[in-house]
Amino acid sequence: MIEVRDVTKRYGTTVALDRVSFQVEQGRILGFLGPNGAGKSTTMKIITTFLAPDSGRVTVGGIDVLERPLAVRGRIGYLPENVPLYHDMIVDEYLEFVGRARGLDGSRLRQRFEFCVDTCGLQGELKKHIGELSKGYRQRTGLAQALIHDPDILILDEPTSGLDPLQIIEIRQLISRLAGEKTVIFSTHILQEVSPVTDRVVIINEGQVVADGLIGELTERAMGDNRVFVGVRRAAAEVEPALRELARLSELRVLTTTDPGVCRFELRAPFRHDLVGAVAELAGARGWPLDELHESRYSLEDTFIALTRASGAKREVA
Amino acid sequence: MRSVGVIFRREFAAYFNSPIAYIFIIVFLLLTSVLFMLNFFLMGQASMMGYFGTLPLLLVFFIPAVSMRLWAEDRRQGTFELLMTLPMRPHQVMLGKYLAALAFFAVALAGSLPIPIMLNALGNPDNGVLVSGYLGSLLMGAVYLSVGIFTSGLMRDQISAFILGVMACVIMWLLGQPNTAAVIDGWLAGLGSMLQQYLGMTSHFEPMTQGVIALGDVVYFLALSGLFLVLNALWLEGRKY
Repeated sequence: MIEVRDVTKRYGTTVALDRVSFQVEQGRILGFLGPNGAGKSTTMKIITTFLAPDSGRVTVGGIDVLERPLAVRGRIGYLPENVPLYHDMIVDEYLEFVGRARGLDGSRLRQRFEFCVDTCGLQGELKKHIGELSKGYRQRTGLAQALIHDPDILILDEPTSGLDPLQIIEIRQLISRLAGEKTVIFSTHILQEVSPVTDRVVIINEGQVVADGLIGELTERAMGDNRVFVGVRRAAAEVEPALRELARLSELRVLTTTDPGVCRFELRAPFRHDLVGAVAELAGARGWPLDELHESRYSLEDTFIALTRASGAKREVA
Repeated sequence: MRSVGVIFRREFAAYFNSPIAYIFIIVFLLLTSVLFMLNFFLMGQASMMGYFGTLPLLLVFFIPAVSMRLWAEDRRQGTFELLMTLPMRPHQVMLGKYLAALAFFAVALAGSLPIPIMLNALGNPDNGVLVSGYLGSLLMGAVYLSVGIFTSGLMRDQISAFILGVMACVIMWLLGQPNTAAVIDGWLAGLGSMLQQYLGMTSHFEPMTQGVIALGDVVYFLALSGLFLVLNALWLEGRKY
């Protein structure tokens, strides 16, 4: 649906994007992650035809952005990072203006207008000046503007920036509701925002794609293995040898403990292996009273840091 | 054409969304009328020659104030990105904006209509000459506006856009003055007269205030406006940021 291939973009001597490639299939949501200044906005500006790439090719629904930009623009709803609002306009005037500028008219315009106002929860704000709106409502007005022509593709640049937690959840829910029907790319530098909405991410750092895939796969690749913490109310001398016998165990560390009756260990095993299950089974068979048994899940944050560090380190070596 | 209309309507309404429009119209009318009325009773003529005579210099300052916001404001508040990702060509957006500014100027100019009404009540003016003068003023405004919309695109804030616009318009006005032309002719024979002919508008505007609508002058104004609009369109297509 959206295909970005080998896109390079320079601003003067700075390389903003360096051979960026990825694609998004129809009806999928892609989380576009990266630290500030990584090139997220630039990529989005190129997909939406606001900027032209220096080299490489971008197609949207098979249409090349450089060859037929107007056809591409017609299919895309775009919420730029700086929400493009006319502060001197009234909300309903503004949405009507964008609708008309996107070729809507008459009953179709009215129907889409009502849909967007409904979806974005703007009923109470329609007669207000945009300049008087709170940050949250401005963001929603921006989103309504991007949806007004019922585009099959949505490009949302940091749709949740500057919002409070409740508003963030609302925007997330809105994006999730669009899944399946629309192809969405949304960017963020806040990692926790991605996993509730989608599992497909592209991570970009210093203008290069450092990871592209499902969150789980990326975590596995970045971290290698799975950590489990076990605490048993028995003597370490009894427990440790039995734990060492566990299949596929790659590492065992004895941890210090404040309770003398309990021994604690950190175990590591390859990522997909169900180590917790194996330990629980062993404890059950031996009749050990378990004091603690949990898996330390790598967060997306750990993955992100590991991946962006790795790319930074590679660059320094090169 | 429909796209141009949509942009035109928003931009035209935008002028009246802020008090600046009303302030602009009032100051413009006050200044031009006062300058005119100062001499009106001394001259004792039922003509607007004096009124139109002040416009070439006054518009140098007034028109950039109308055009300064056209691109600079959109670039500052981020709506430029919206406009440039609408399913229409950049020059259609530009034309909508330009025509809206021209229409706004026409409204301000129309505010001076009490003067010809007063002339008709007091004496017997040649109304054909008045119509020709208004047409000339509109055409001259069209040229200054095309310069202004071009300079507005080069700047990110309205004040710089205004100053740059005034500078460009002052230069055009100066080039139209016989003294300036004579000085430049002194440096390089013929250059001053040529610039006066092509960029200085006074020699094309004066005949119109006297009731002479020459096709050549009308074409001149339209071509000069067209030139700056084309430059603006090229800038839009070639921008790299």
